[in-house]
Amino acid sequence: MGSLFHRLTAASLLLAGLTFAAEVDYLRDVKPILTQHCVRCHGENKIEAGLRADTAAALREGGDNGSALRAREGGESLLLQVVTGQHGDIARMPYKRPPLDDTLVAKLRAWVTQGAPAPADEIPGRFEHWAFVAPKRPAVPSVARREWPRTPVDAFVLARLEQERVSPAPEADRVTLLRRASLDLTGLPPSPAEVTAFIADQTPDAYARVVERLLASPHYGERWARPWLDVARYADSNGYSIDAPRQIWKYRDWVVNAINRDQPFDQFVVEQLAGDLLPNATRDQRVATGFNRNTQINQEGGIDPEQFRIESVLDRVSTFGTAFLGVTLSCAQCHDHKFDPFTQRDYYRMFAFFNNTVDDGHGRSNPGGTLAFTDEMPPKDASNHELETARAELERILDGKRDAILAWLKDLRIEAKVALGGTAREALEIPWAEQTLAHKRALYAAYQPTDADFKARAAKITRLERNERKPVTTLVMSELPKPRDSFLFIKGDFTRKGEPVTPGTPAILPPLKVADGARPNRLDLARWLVDPANPLTARVYVNRIWQQYFGRGLVETENDFGTQGSPPSHPELLDWLATELVAQGWSTKAIHRAIVLSATYRQSSRVRPDLEEKDPLNKLLARQTRLRLDAEVVRDVALVASGQFNPKLGGPPVFPPQPDGVMNLGQVKREWKPSTGGDRYRRGLYTHLWRATPHPALAVFDGTDGFSACTRRLRSNTPLQALTLLNDEQFYEFAQALAQRVQREANGDLAAQLTHAFRLCLARAPSANELVRVTQLYREQLATATGDEATRRGEAWTVIARVLLNLDETITRE
Amino acid sequence: MTMPAPTPNLPALTRRHFFSRCGMGLGGIALASMLGQRQLLGAEARPLEHPLAPKPTHFPARAKNIIFLFMAGGPSQLELFDYKPKLNELNGQPIPQSFIEGKRFAFMDSSHGVKLLGTRRKFARHGQSGAWVSDLFPHTAGIVDDISIVKSCQATLFNHAPAKLFMNTGSGQFGRPSMGSWINYGLGSECQDLPGFVVLQSGPRGPRGGAVNWGSGFLPTTYQGVPFRGAGDPILNLSTPHGVTAQKQRQTLDAIRDLNLQRAVETGDAEIHTRIAAYEMAARMQASAPDLIDLTSESEATLKLYGADRKEPSFARNCLIARRLVQRGVRFVQLYHTNWDSHGGPGENLQGDFEKVCREVDQGQAALIRDLKAHGLLKDTLVVWGGEFGRTPMGENRDTTGRNHHIDAFTMWFAGGGVKPGQVLGDTDELGFNAVGDKAHVHDIHATLLHLLGLDHKRLTFHFQGRDYRLTDVHGELITRLYS
Repeated sequence: MGSLFHRLTAASLLLAGLTFAAEVDYLRDVKPILTQHCVRCHGENKIEAGLRADTAAALREGGDNGSALRAREGGESLLLQVVTGQHGDIARMPYKRPPLDDTLVAKLRAWVTQGAPAPADEIPGRFEHWAFVAPKRPAVPSVARREWPRTPVDAFVLARLEQERVSPAPEADRVTLLRRASLDLTGLPPSPAEVTAFIADQTPDAYARVVERLLASPHYGERWARPWLDVARYADSNGYSIDAPRQIWKYRDWVVNAINRDQPFDQFVVEQLAGDLLPNATRDQRVATGFNRNTQINQEGGIDPEQFRIESVLDRVSTFGTAFLGVTLSCAQCHDHKFDPFTQRDYYRMFAFFNNTVDDGHGRSNPGGTLAFTDEMPPKDASNHELETARAELERILDGKRDAILAWLKDLRIEAKVALGGTAREALEIPWAEQTLAHKRALYAAYQPTDADFKARAAKITRLERNERKPVTTLVMSELPKPRDSFLFIKGDFTRKGEPVTPGTPAILPPLKVADGARPNRLDLARWLVDPANPLTARVYVNRIWQQYFGRGLVETENDFGTQGSPPSHPELLDWLATELVAQGWSTKAIHRAIVLSATYRQSSRVRPDLEEKDPLNKLLARQTRLRLDAEVVRDVALVASGQFNPKLGGPPVFPPQPDGVMNLGQVKREWKPSTGGDRYRRGLYTHLWRATPHPALAVFDGTDGFSACTRRLRSNTPLQALTLLNDEQFYEFAQALAQRVQREANGDLAAQLTHAFRLCLARAPSANELVRVTQLYREQLATATGDEATRRGEAWTVIARVLLNLDETITRE
Repeated sequence: MTMPAPTPNLPALTRRHFFSRCGMGLGGIALASMLGQRQLLGAEARPLEHPLAPKPTHFPARAKNIIFLFMAGGPSQLELFDYKPKLNELNGQPIPQSFIEGKRFAFMDSSHGVKLLGTRRKFARHGQSGAWVSDLFPHTAGIVDDISIVKSCQATLFNHAPAKLFMNTGSGQFGRPSMGSWINYGLGSECQDLPGFVVLQSGPRGPRGGAVNWGSGFLPTTYQGVPFRGAGDPILNLSTPHGVTAQKQRQTLDAIRDLNLQRAVETGDAEIHTRIAAYEMAARMQASAPDLIDLTSESEATLKLYGADRKEPSFARNCLIARRLVQRGVRFVQLYHTNWDSHGGPGENLQGDFEKVCREVDQGQAALIRDLKAHGLLKDTLVVWGGEFGRTPMGENRDTTGRNHHIDAFTMWFAGGGVKPGQVLGDTDELGFNAVGDKAHVHDIHATLLHLLGLDHKRLTFHFQGRDYRLTDVHGELITRLYS
């Protein structure tokens, strides 16, 4: 009936030359247009040009440009002028969006012409955007092909496919499936033995048991920590120009462990945002707050430290928006958000949450900002003992000269005292008995600067201190006793303070719950975030998980769920996953199971010519997608194939070889001493990440640089990647090791050896054609190589290994 | 439920292309390849669509390539181009408060003086244009009629790393694409065997901020600058591993291609074709990059013009390599030379240290202009000279003299590629503190460089995190007098 009515109306409109008959009704015909197209910027959250469009009365009253409804001199009302683009000074509305249909304009015109009648007790229209309304648990749809779905995920996908009259792709073969699940869940390829076992296991739950094995593997935490660390902008150096090293790897290990024990996502978030503020916070919970200490620190001379302290607070707000809410909050740093209902004031109220910690803009170690693991000290060595002795001796000598030093001090003139160095000046305020050796040393050095014995002893101590044992440390958030005052910065410029602001959350989102009269803090913010009433947190998180499996999120713009982002391809599926996450006690592993066990995930990734026109980007999910592996996993796959893989978990970052001269590219040449022994063969996750000079083998495959929150990596495909896999020292080392391994592990028959080599790199055996080609290559190499039999074989095998490690398939999850 | 509008996506386009082009014949091609009958492939092989394929400009271009001579650290315009007799007259006196009110400076919290510092350099007018150039740039003084000197440049940020980023990316924040990346994204590359954006470095240390200065930010890494090195391999991992002969490398590449092609047939994934093309490009780079830096074919006269040695790394040698790069169609070449940060301390004073760094660049940069002209390349090649900012008219109170960072007025020069030669644009007040007339902010410079390349800076956009980004952000006015 409704659509018939519409069609009739449209027809009569055409007949009437797009004027509207008398039947236009404000609430039925006009208000929905205003609510959908105008209220976002002219409503309770944002009042552009002083005009509200959420009631007829407000339109009549108007804003900065006068009434929107009153007819203007020689023409129409302002409302009609702007929606038709006829106004000389004001841009066509809706601003930077498609113009309203002629039928909608005609309705508005008819209503205004009628004198704009509207009920007096009108309730203001509210802008609604799907992502700002909490998800409701959708019913799992029914489908015609009832045998296809394996998890509820499939019902949503298949319902859509059936609607589009597209059938899903067949399941991938078992080897592909195992390699896919292994790479997706652990970032490591399956071993040939695992492949054999899986093929042999014909029980119905064989695949489900493999998935459980992979989810229980400690490497699962390593693989899934990586995208989270990208979001957390984790790196092992301070960034900016100096890019000094920093210790924060304890935070990285915390993430790996939390993911491995499937810490509920709500707790995972609360601890990272406000672990320090939890009652009786544990050391682990404080380590977790390193999330917001992954900001850059500028140690360049001559800077204004306050400017860079504020930069890190701005980064925290921006990261909060990107990582948890999936919105572009940072657009509101300089002005109200152009498209989403976030005001500049909203932005600085968020700023006020993060503006109260002890860290400064220069990276000085303020008390509380660094956590020391005094229980994790390296063992003492001879030089440490020597240092202790040297210190004790010097302290004894200086104590013996106490009276002389104090007498000298007493007679010292005030100007001379002022001229003393920092430590000595500090010592003036402290009684001798409470002074540290450093104080005493500084005083004595000022008193007797030429004492040769003292100088020799001091120099020896300085030398030994270079090798002094220091506890492991990590950067943490730590609140100031009294919060800083926060202000809105005019045009985002910190030198131009506007109105003062207090901590608060954006008005469009559910209200923040705080104890009466209390000033909200980061802990309140964190709890607000993981309240199931929050419409964004769970959706944004499950969408990023989905993106890892299919290369594209259900919301393609994974960092913009606002009005400028793409709408979800499968809205009900997104909401089902989001509500499932909460229903499963925020268990991330539950979401992994729902996806990895699904028939949707298990489809073949072969491109379907039949869908080239209809669905070229595979948004309908009628197949899987081939995905080039992430930078770290490109390394890990070669490492495992070579047999050199060191599975050790956690610990300080390591230094696998890289070409000479890479570190020269930074302003300060940092040392890169390649790790030896086991640390040379660790996963890419553990490679020391210098922000200014990231490891080239990671950077070239789009690894992150830790400058800002990264929610999706690019997948580029470049000649420099080819040069890396072909010629890089370590990749060549992997090829040589793989060559030796194949000769060692597979005996006899060349075909069997080649098959083993294929299985180590690709999990599968070669096709007949492929076998012919590599056999030909092997013979060719053997014929041209020189030396004894073993040398010639070794050379030929190295060529084969190099070819296999360079294949597109090797660095791709199919 | 509505499907989002399809976004432009390269793999999708090439995949369609692949199906329409190859539909029937690809299996046959793969088979021919497998059997080693590559001559069969030769007739079929066509270049695949590639992110660096040349693209049309927005309007006719005046320049095709850019060589940016980046004087890292911020050279003192007051010792080189901006002659201020009044400053010499007032040497040692405090700067009038009216000049510095409300300004922020680097090292503002320290005890650096605010007294004016006259220059010790001798200035003279040169060429038909009568441009002032000091005695530190004798060679450059000889090319003033080929260049356009802009004395009224302005920047926003006054610390090195952010300011350098700003000059390169239009923003002090990390993560934005650099100018060279934007240009390769906008125009593609006309060179099939070298990257479209090459970076060369000289001087005592790397530029502050390092690789982010030529990073591609949120653009695909295809567009990032590739640093060529002064010694060893010009590109990382360019040499085959020890013991791998050229023949063996070729046989390896052939096998990789054949197996990849087979997989492409099986999976139908066009991305594999891009990878095959990338490996071929890599092989061509292996052949062409050593040839690029092999200067044996350059005459003694050319080497003498530049003051360059065939082997020894130097700014002058990099200038010569820059000419060879644009000859080969490389779109954007950037040379960094450090260190211009003349605060006055050891290694960075305005006396001997400054003379040294001037000597290091003067002959090479002048030779580059002359040589490009002689080769007929200057009309298509836009040469840009400048640092991230300039220096203050005030001297710093250190042991030897130096100047602080200054963003309100500094000098850059431009040549070739449509730039009007032999003019001096803009001026500064009598102390050289503020720009007067024809102000050229970094955003304006970016807009103008893109314009000369045939690109509208407002239309060269990339959608990222919910908005369309530009090199010029929301700014940028064309400096029309630079080219008309």
